[in-house]
Amino acid sequence: MTDHVIVVDLGYGDAGKGGIVDWLCSQPAALGAGGRPFHAVVRFNGGAQAAHHVISPGGRAHAFAQFGSGTFSAGVRTYLSRFMLVDPLAMTAEAAHLTELGVPGPYELVTVDRDALLTTPYHQAANRAREAARGAGRHGSCGMGIGETASYALLHGADAPRAGDCAAPRTLNRKLSLLRDRLAADAGFPRRATPPPAAVAAAYRAWAGRVTLADEEHLVRLLRAGPVVFEGAQGVLLDEWRGFHPYTTWSTTTFANARTLLARSGESALRLGVIRCYMTRHGPGPFVTEDPTLDLPEPHNRGGRWQGPFRTGHLDAVALRYATQVCGGADAVALTHLDSARRRAGELRVCRAYLAGGQRVTRIAPGPDRDLAYQERLTGMLLAARPVYDEADRPAARDWPEAVAEIVGAPVLVRSDGPGAAAKTACLTGVSR
Amino acid sequence: MGSGRWSTDVYEAAARLRGGASAFAHSDSGARNVHPALNPFGVGARESRDSAEHPESLAIAVLFDVTGSMGAVPRALQAKLPQLLGLLLRKGYARHPQIMFGAIGDATCDRAPLQVGQFESDNRMDGDLERILLEGGGGGQKTESYELAMYFMARHTLADCWEKRRKRGYLFIVGDEMAYPKVKPREVRAVIGAELAEALELRAMAAELTQRWDTYYILPEGAAYAGDGQVLGFWRALLGQNVIELADLDAVCETIALTIGLGEEAIDLDAGLADLADVGSAAGPAVSRALTLIGASHGQLVAGAGPAALAGPPGTGGSAGGDGQHRSGDDDLDFPSGNIRL
Repeated sequence: MTDHVIVVDLGYGDAGKGGIVDWLCSQPAALGAGGRPFHAVVRFNGGAQAAHHVISPGGRAHAFAQFGSGTFSAGVRTYLSRFMLVDPLAMTAEAAHLTELGVPGPYELVTVDRDALLTTPYHQAANRAREAARGAGRHGSCGMGIGETASYALLHGADAPRAGDCAAPRTLNRKLSLLRDRLAADAGFPRRATPPPAAVAAAYRAWAGRVTLADEEHLVRLLRAGPVVFEGAQGVLLDEWRGFHPYTTWSTTTFANARTLLARSGESALRLGVIRCYMTRHGPGPFVTEDPTLDLPEPHNRGGRWQGPFRTGHLDAVALRYATQVCGGADAVALTHLDSARRRAGELRVCRAYLAGGQRVTRIAPGPDRDLAYQERLTGMLLAARPVYDEADRPAARDWPEAVAEIVGAPVLVRSDGPGAAAKTACLTGVSR
Repeated sequence: MGSGRWSTDVYEAAARLRGGASAFAHSDSGARNVHPALNPFGVGARESRDSAEHPESLAIAVLFDVTGSMGAVPRALQAKLPQLLGLLLRKGYARHPQIMFGAIGDATCDRAPLQVGQFESDNRMDGDLERILLEGGGGGQKTESYELAMYFMARHTLADCWEKRRKRGYLFIVGDEMAYPKVKPREVRAVIGAELAEALELRAMAAELTQRWDTYYILPEGAAYAGDGQVLGFWRALLGQNVIELADLDAVCETIALTIGLGEEAIDLDAGLADLADVGSAAGPAVSRALTLIGASHGQLVAGAGPAALAGPPGTGGSAGGDGQHRSGDDDLDFPSGNIRL
């Protein structure tokens, strides 16, 4: 049974995963006729920095960070897997907003793997202290301590606070105190600028009393009980190993983690890549097709203090082919922002080649696995590259699905013509496999 | 606050977590007396009424033992129970639930032998949960004043589901001990401020109560007398199969909600157990057996003899005696439905 779906952004993030997940979960049958609806969303990478914007049935926007973007559909639960970095404090703010939007009892919808790492105010303080020290050489961090959480766990695995520790007050207190001491010394922030561990521990314990803590066996049951959506965060071009180092994120943004989780149950899933009709990127880093003259509406994504400006540019077929290749291919595409493509028909282009070092380049060759030196050379090449456009390559609105399907080598299965589930439609365009 | 969409301020988070109840505010403030809002003395009746918004109200009461033998259970309940309303609505187990929370102590020695909140259709009853005084007392004879709570529920509640539609409300008693054998006029006067001409036998009390309230007893693991055959036998003698051993305290809301869902015939047992598995509860197998019996009994009216008539008097070595035999499977079937209709 392959009713499960993995939703991953094939670009630099912000392509509209939230809207797609929301739409999938609102469908009476998972994909196709006769099936059952999706009943759970699993997060398998990243952390609280995700901001998947969805319009509620009441017409209000919510930025899903640690609740699955399917939460507005009744009965859809969220499972934060062991690959997720969990920020309990941010979750309380998100839960309060969801309550305001009419989601009854949001905490009861959430099950957290006991092994999931916790992102704490100390990680955030370290993140901001270091990013401030980098000055102009910023990496585009979002200031929420995601990278600090991951790196601390690499260095001090056994001491890193995890969700399960919230049920063990003594362990939790010890780990939080140790964490604050170490990071304050290492990143150079004053300890007293952060809340005392006892206060953090108390809030965490209260939080753990509201959500459900579980082991991975829970996921096995979820998968057997019905179709599940795996909701990726960020985008493949930001992947920690395959992105353009060092302008990457501390997480695996491909289908890989989701497939690891599925493998345990012997289940498989449809790999759905999300793509906008144009590219966007938050903060610094390579963006060959960036075009500041493109003035496209972006109600939710604005420049962040820590993250840098929000940038837009033309569809980059070269980068998207690379993304598809490094994640082992996609089975289908969800193509979003077709309303912009219609409004800006003739203005939005497709870039199929770069000019780099005096040469015409049509392909970014994936390097060896986990070779950051190679990735860094790619970054240098891309930062110097210029886009090459075919003047005629400005698809009409109706031709976009076909064009994108050809680039990715997979059919467009869902199209989005605007915000809200009502603007999404199932279709089947392009390459048949 | 950086670019994070959601504030990570620890003090705001703590306030939010408190605001959503589970704050034990009353107990932790050092209070030593029943909060006025929960004091049953002289209230007349707690009412669950229909309204324009909720035209077919369904009264649901959850009363839990707050004495020492329950250990950390009352606090866990205070943290979990606010989820009940959302769960019922979200799962569609009940359309217009009105929930009341209350607490049971020991009238022979406690400061708070009985605490009762109001029936509410929104999350206002969470405030009542916060106000519940956790006693930590109790007498150590494996007995608490459940009978006084049963008396209050039978004679001092008015529910439209019953008054107008002859449909019983749901009462869940969460505890780990036995009731005293009689409702005593002195205690009714002192605690509830009402007059009772003469002492009421517990079995008569239970029979009267279950006419209007579909009553369940939940015995959670982690309480002192969890798994105690004598305690289980006592309640089975009184309520038949409406006795649930709760292996996973985290699943208390799901268990209550499922029981209601089965009673309302909003779900069948399989769907209910799938829901339980969904939340990652390990309670599935334990709850499953209890609910299987309950699920099987719905739709069948048991006229005439209630279980109290079949079983020997509590604690006298009758079929409900303290030998623990009723914990094992089929013996439970000796008891007909606990849904006594007289």
